[in-house]
Amino acid sequence: MKRRTFLAGLAAVPVAGCGLSGTSSTSTGGTGQVTGEITFQTWSLKPKYTDYVNGVVEAFQKQHQGTTVKWVDQPADGYLAKVMADASAGSLPDVINVPPDLSFPLAKAGQLVNLDESLEDAKPEYLGNAWQAFEIPGKGGCYGFPWYLNTGPIFYNKALFRQAGLDPDKPPTNFRELETQALKLAEKKIAILGQTPSIADFGLYGVKLFENDKFTFNAPKGVEFAESYKRMYDAGALIPEALTQNYTGAGAKFMAQQTALNSGSAYDLGKFKTDAPSLYANIGITTPITNTGSANMFLHGVSVPKSSKNQATALAFGRFVTNAENQVKFAKLASIFPSTSKGGDDPYFTTEDGTDEARVRVAAAKQLKTAVNYTPVQFSDQMREALLQQLADAMLGKKSPKQALDDAVAECNRLLK
Amino acid sequence: MTHRPYTPWLFLAPGLAICLLFVIFPFLNMIVLAFTDASALGGGQFTGVDNFVRMAQDPKFWAAARNSGLYLVGVVPPLVLLPLLIAMLVQKVVPGIGIFRTAFFTPVIASTVVVGLIWTWLLDSRGLVNNVVEALGGSRIGFLTDSTLLLVSSMVVTVWRGLGYYMVIYLAALANVPKDLHEAAMVDGAGPVRRFWSVTVPSIRPTMVLVAALSAVNGFRVFSEIYLLSGGSGGPGGASTTLVMLIQLTGRGLTGEVGYASALSIVLFVILLGLLLVTLKLNRREDQL
Repeated sequence: MKRRTFLAGLAAVPVAGCGLSGTSSTSTGGTGQVTGEITFQTWSLKPKYTDYVNGVVEAFQKQHQGTTVKWVDQPADGYLAKVMADASAGSLPDVINVPPDLSFPLAKAGQLVNLDESLEDAKPEYLGNAWQAFEIPGKGGCYGFPWYLNTGPIFYNKALFRQAGLDPDKPPTNFRELETQALKLAEKKIAILGQTPSIADFGLYGVKLFENDKFTFNAPKGVEFAESYKRMYDAGALIPEALTQNYTGAGAKFMAQQTALNSGSAYDLGKFKTDAPSLYANIGITTPITNTGSANMFLHGVSVPKSSKNQATALAFGRFVTNAENQVKFAKLASIFPSTSKGGDDPYFTTEDGTDEARVRVAAAKQLKTAVNYTPVQFSDQMREALLQQLADAMLGKKSPKQALDDAVAECNRLLK
Repeated sequence: MTHRPYTPWLFLAPGLAICLLFVIFPFLNMIVLAFTDASALGGGQFTGVDNFVRMAQDPKFWAAARNSGLYLVGVVPPLVLLPLLIAMLVQKVVPGIGIFRTAFFTPVIASTVVVGLIWTWLLDSRGLVNNVVEALGGSRIGFLTDSTLLLVSSMVVTVWRGLGYYMVIYLAALANVPKDLHEAAMVDGAGPVRRFWSVTVPSIRPTMVLVAALSAVNGFRVFSEIYLLSGGSGGPGGASTTLVMLIQLTGRGLTGEVGYASALSIVLFVILLGLLLVTLKLNRREDQL
């Protein structure tokens, strides 16, 4: 779900500049000649990033004479349906923009090119954690070039913290503090959260999510986490909508100052400034709440389907579009971060200029070095729904947190087959 | 003039081709898929009646079927009666009546998503309705966070949206009720209520059966209202999920269980067919009386 927060944000960020100058590409690798026509499908990048993508396409075509890249952008709504229809018909575009959880079922069905085999020298160009996100756990092989990344700070409402007698400069940094402060806020009838925990939150708590081809988040640590949420829910620290709400709903409630804390991205800060100025005046920004020391990371990538008739060109373009230079340029237009091992060194990501935006950006870039994509790639939409429903039953007291997690894990493992 | 037997078929061909391609073929494909374990990415293996056996043992299916049944019971009576009463009110030719007719019809043409969002804002725990309730000294009501109330809220939206559409159908039917029947009844001393039951209702009974059939089918197939009001979750714990929503939740995405979703669709189809046949039979009996 958080993937879409990230995307929605990306789609809405205004373009500050446009076009790309001539770029020097990395080596193409792969087999076959880089020539001919390919189709490149992106996820909701038009019209905000039209100039940027066209610039990349032109630079690639200039560097590889005889190639033509046809760019197709699909809106976020219905993207999954489009990929599904194309995959079923065996007519996926030559280069396709997918996050890890979409690349996984395609790779599992044998539809994507294994980059570890086709481009052996590509791996070192990307951050290890980003490359790993496109691997099939336990089976090896990487099925997508990591593209843009994001990680979020935690935003909190200082005014609401003050109202509950909490120090607005000491927001929670781990889940134990989160519960303590949530209960304190609840005493003043202030809800801290607008969502029940996602699978990534279990990971941030330190729960082992997936092991030996099975989901394991019903381990005692997972139950302990769900019990903590149950205590918070019973105290009124979660709004009633938390039982059914996704990221968008939770974000809207935070914007409406109905909850005191929410995870977000660098993009959200600009949104608060324009859409919720009274919240912006009281906004607190802190590091992600984690028990592991690592933040959560969201990422996108580009994959090359095996059905591509022009695989060498598709691989070369996939690598080109995700190279350090192109990613840094893209990251400067949108509130995202490069997934290449070199891109993050750019002063844009390491130097503060005194603004909140730069502070969030630098902090996020630093976080990304150790961030983990906690959501297992096997975790599908149906599994997400199962977890949400079981947690709702636990919060409502229809079943114990342990029973709810046991049932969620059983359903997820059934869906895994 | 030469009669060429194939001429009508030439006129029918484009429509038939579209129907075959986009209705008949997908329908037949759905029947085949219902007997497999197909996913979005693969044809799957033939599994016989496994999907139907699973359905019989699936508490989610029974809960969804019960919710769809409740929906039917909840929306059909108001959608048969309320639009009729409104049609009778706006039937009168008085200055400015067009404004009322338009007002009642507007929800029909409004975007479902917009309607869903407006009602979500109204019924939210911090929404307008709850603010009014709280201002009047009551405590906030979980219209969207209690599974039963969520279902009732969706029914209210469905009825609200359907009023205008069925009102127009009734207006057409009411225009065909002979005025002299009403005048004769008035001469015999019948008041407005008596005239409604003894003149209006018998004259428009076939239309009422039609409205009942249409609203029953639409009610049983409800998706948008419940989806939007529950934020796509089917309510807390998925307890307000209806059959169509269950099909969507089961079959969506690259990892969707298309085989099982197809089996669910077949069951939905059979139920709806049954509903229509019952209505048809009722209508025929009315004609014979």
